[in-house]
Amino acid sequence: MIKRLIYTLLLSCSIMFPGSAFAEYAVIVSASNGNASMSSDDISRIFLGKTSKFPNGSKAKPLDQSEDNPARESFNKAVLGKDSSQLKAYWSRLIFTGKGTPPKEAGDDTAVKSQVAGDTSAIGYVDASVVDDSVTVVFSY
Amino acid sequence: MKKLLPLIVAGLSLPLTAAANDLMINGFMNVIAGVTDTDEITSDGYDDTVSFDRQTMMGLQLYKQVNDKTSATVQLVARGYEDFDVKASWLYFTYSISDNLEVRMGRLRTPLYHYSDFLEVGYAYNWISPPSILYLQNEFSSFNGADVTQRFSFDGGIDGSIQAYAGRFSGTTGNGVETYEMDLKPTGGVVATMTKADFTVRAGAHYSNLTLALDPTGSRGLDQYYAGAVFFGMGDDFLIEDSETRYLQFSTTYDNGSTLLLAEWTSLTHETAALLDNQTWMIGGAQRFGDKTAHLTYVDYSESTESGMVGMYQAAAEKAESSVILGMRWDYDSSTAFKAEAEYNDESKVSGADGEAGTIYRVGMALLF
Repeated sequence: MIKRLIYTLLLSCSIMFPGSAFAEYAVIVSASNGNASMSSDDISRIFLGKTSKFPNGSKAKPLDQSEDNPARESFNKAVLGKDSSQLKAYWSRLIFTGKGTPPKEAGDDTAVKSQVAGDTSAIGYVDASVVDDSVTVVFSY
Repeated sequence: MKKLLPLIVAGLSLPLTAAANDLMINGFMNVIAGVTDTDEITSDGYDDTVSFDRQTMMGLQLYKQVNDKTSATVQLVARGYEDFDVKASWLYFTYSISDNLEVRMGRLRTPLYHYSDFLEVGYAYNWISPPSILYLQNEFSSFNGADVTQRFSFDGGIDGSIQAYAGRFSGTTGNGVETYEMDLKPTGGVVATMTKADFTVRAGAHYSNLTLALDPTGSRGLDQYYAGAVFFGMGDDFLIEDSETRYLQFSTTYDNGSTLLLAEWTSLTHETAALLDNQTWMIGGAQRFGDKTAHLTYVDYSESTESGMVGMYQAAAEKAESSVILGMRWDYDSSTAFKAEAEYNDESKVSGADGEAGTIYRVGMALLF
């Protein structure tokens, strides 16, 4: 009976919060940012330079991890839906027109977390294990 | 201009070490070899002997954020068909009035086509180069002046921009054999772009006053064409002086990362009868298989003539052609792509008469650095 209840609970959890139980990475903003949750589309548009604002209208500054970090490849695939060649081609269309520059590289998980914590306009992605009170998780994947 | 590059590089090496964060250097390079299977057609300057320098080129872009509001950009390009002389194709200041509104001043790329902005950055597209039947007016690719770009976002994930520009261009234009002095005074236009998820729509309207000096006693093709018009008493119609030129463009693309579909249409109308009004359209698609992409494009060019005597004389210069382009791109790594392409070019009408058809084969490498 109890076994069955736990199973049902687990099942409903995974339906209500798909993926959350197995979240490896988190998209974070500063705890004082004011945006509580964002869709992957909102995040994509900021990281692809299509908009420079959060859904609530405040200025958004995306931060990438360095190229060799696994978090970056997984973010590109899971959230932006592009691999590194596709992203490179995408940015080459904007860089050489002066219409956009890729997000600044801010280092690894801890470096991104501390920069996001200290800047209300910043948004970054980190391994979920480094998340603490200084930042708000707006999306997990 | 040739000696400018080492000078600029030397000049930049100082701030480069002093403030490396502020200066961004991006480069691109295309190495392309091509050959046609017949000497009856001419396309992008290729003939039946393998050529490496027609489209081989390199570009270097330097970008410097001067302060919060202002940045400076210069793009230096060395093209094979210009003996690798270094030229500044772009050189401008950008002033950001707000996050979504900016003004640029200097030498800018004329935003004529869907792929204008990155026309020469081979890595940015699947073709070896955008189909030259549509992307033909290379000479008009830059102008001196200013533009204003307003970006906007709507609810529902729609992003877009409106770009308006005005300026002037003077220089030489030609077909590789003959050159003409040309003046676009003024030139200007408006381009609107909208994207939603995987869809992009672009529309542009452009206007210029074109002056192209012709000499009825000269030996160049247009000179002799003009001299003939003068002989038939139609000299005024075939003069190219402050001739109104209107250009319309519409394109749409769908790109979900693995499948790409595109369609583009352009229309060019001239007040002067010496240059024929023309319409071009293309439709194409590409499919990605892992690190390889196969693509297929059809592009069609036709001209229209006026009525009466003028039209009859124009018909003697009328041209029509189409191409089917089949190619492959292989992403070797995140900044190198190899490409191979075959283009079947059918020049159905050349100087009003039946033309020839042939195939152009090209292989190339596109780099970003």
